[in-house]
Amino acid sequence: MSGKVVRYGRDNIDTDVIIPGQYLKIHDYEELARHAMEGMDPDFHSKKGSYILAGKNFGCGSSREHAPIALAHSGIKAVLALSFARIFYRNAVDGAFLLPIEIGEDAYQKIADGSEIDIDVGAGLVRDITAGAQYKMRPFPEMISKIIEAGGLFGYKPE
Amino acid sequence: MGTSQSDIMGRTLLEKIWDSHVIADEGNTSLLYVDRHLIHEVTSPQAFEGLRLAGRSVRRPDLTVATMDHNVPTSRSLPMADQTSEAQMRALERNCTEFGIRLFGIGSPRQGIVHVIGPQLGITLPGTTIVCGDSHTSTHGAFGALALGIGTSDVEHVLASQTLWLERPKTLEVAVSGVRKNPLAVTAKDIMLMIIRKMGTGGGAGSVMEYRGQAITALSMEQRMTICNMSIEAGARAGLVAPDEKTFEYLEGREFTPTNFDSLVGEWRELYTDQDAKFDGTFELDIGNLAPQVSWGTSPEMTCDITQNVPDPAEFADEQKMRAAQRALEYMDLVPGTPMQEIKIDRVFIGSCTNARIEDLTEAAEIVRGQKVLPGVSAMVVPGSQMVKTEAEKMGLDSVFIDAGFEWRESGCSMCLGMNPDILLPGERCASTSNRNFEGRQGAGGRTHLASPVMAAAAAIHGHFVDARDLF
Repeated sequence: MSGKVVRYGRDNIDTDVIIPGQYLKIHDYEELARHAMEGMDPDFHSKKGSYILAGKNFGCGSSREHAPIALAHSGIKAVLALSFARIFYRNAVDGAFLLPIEIGEDAYQKIADGSEIDIDVGAGLVRDITAGAQYKMRPFPEMISKIIEAGGLFGYKPE
Repeated sequence: MGTSQSDIMGRTLLEKIWDSHVIADEGNTSLLYVDRHLIHEVTSPQAFEGLRLAGRSVRRPDLTVATMDHNVPTSRSLPMADQTSEAQMRALERNCTEFGIRLFGIGSPRQGIVHVIGPQLGITLPGTTIVCGDSHTSTHGAFGALALGIGTSDVEHVLASQTLWLERPKTLEVAVSGVRKNPLAVTAKDIMLMIIRKMGTGGGAGSVMEYRGQAITALSMEQRMTICNMSIEAGARAGLVAPDEKTFEYLEGREFTPTNFDSLVGEWRELYTDQDAKFDGTFELDIGNLAPQVSWGTSPEMTCDITQNVPDPAEFADEQKMRAAQRALEYMDLVPGTPMQEIKIDRVFIGSCTNARIEDLTEAAEIVRGQKVLPGVSAMVVPGSQMVKTEAEKMGLDSVFIDAGFEWRESGCSMCLGMNPDILLPGERCASTSNRNFEGRQGAGGRTHLASPVMAAAAAIHGHFVDARDLF
């Protein structure tokens, strides 16, 4: 899984800026995606990123699942952040929209905007291809791993 | 939090509720039984669509209750201009009919904001688990219920199974002491804004916060709801207050309060944190000298006393916080050092699941009575439910507000979230009793200042923020 990083050096990126409230009536995911990040970055789509890199508490605020949906349908495969708000995190995983990957301060500070990176979930690594560096990602909790492997909450069958 | 541990030592309130709802464990995650599922028009359509596609039914329609709140126009006489909103509302009607779910739709005297009607109808009960596709579900924690906001995939899971997979939360005690010097001017909203201001928006991350102490037990049920409502703004999974006599008195005789109320009260009396129980963390606050709070930035933690000035970002020690403050002040078009009391406002919104209950409206009306909204300011009151509206009208509060120049609307989420006709225009500045001051929350380019109902009402009269302590 490799692609370009869109870096936002901010904490507390909330779901109202990820997908503003006026668009929550849209059921067409491609149309929803056209408004992704509209609340804080009108140039988001021109950056053609596969990953978002951000600080603490990404996805705080509303429970709207439209947030990970809008990002996923904009081509975002994973959000790398210092930490996530719980509901966003579970929405991303349960709906199998994108991977919420917790990273350390080192990766957050050093991975530059526009860098090409590669995510290796199996090895638990984020490789910065542009800078030739690599960082450990925080492992997913056991249950989250199972849901991800199952392709979402409804694919998961308890033993 | 397993039973073996709980046999040995005392349990927190959260642990008691958790233990009584666990069906299965998977590592640090448990499958919990859900007692009440509240749904609304915006986060449920895809969930019902998912059920249909999979050929599933709703497991417990009798434990599921629906209302319309996010989209509904608060001027009901108008035809719905927004067809996509109308389509979402009609979809909820069809889904509720098809799956046999009770709906308090537009036109119902029980319609209202989901977190206002749940308690009013006696659907919210102590010791229960309550979920809803809305982050402010934390409100119901005021009754000693474990109440969580969830996304649409989880809504579908609960519809299909009446269960939810949940990671085991940490327990965080929020111990609030002291007596408010002027309880009319310094409100539950101010207590909560101060808690968030001190803890930060991530302060409660991973935790269920239990609000305790004499300053909390002194609060009415509605005031406790205001506190628990904004737990999510501190990053917490949920908020809790142990039920007490006030809780039982509130619930007695409500429409859906169970008929075995008396025996339930006996069980509910066991819902408290044992003296020898241990919290994972404690946060303490003394509110003896608390001042009315007003937010200056674009996150609820960016809040200060009404007597303070807009902060200078350069004074923030943390570089991240400094840059966030700079960006926020730019968005809010505020100059550091400006006294909060000199900030002029264009709009006033008294409403939302945080502050649109009868006590909120009663307190705001005391400020407004016999006064006039300053010309040039546009002010509205949006009762949290049609039941609140009716009660307020019986008390004559509608006349108080209308005579002062406020608009008096039908219930709904209204201008809390910018997805119905009630929105701020770009650049407009609003004193709002809602819960989030995020960029664009009340409409693209709109500027939100969070405050209590009395502070918002006073701002409407004066055209700028004033210290409510000078008015009572």
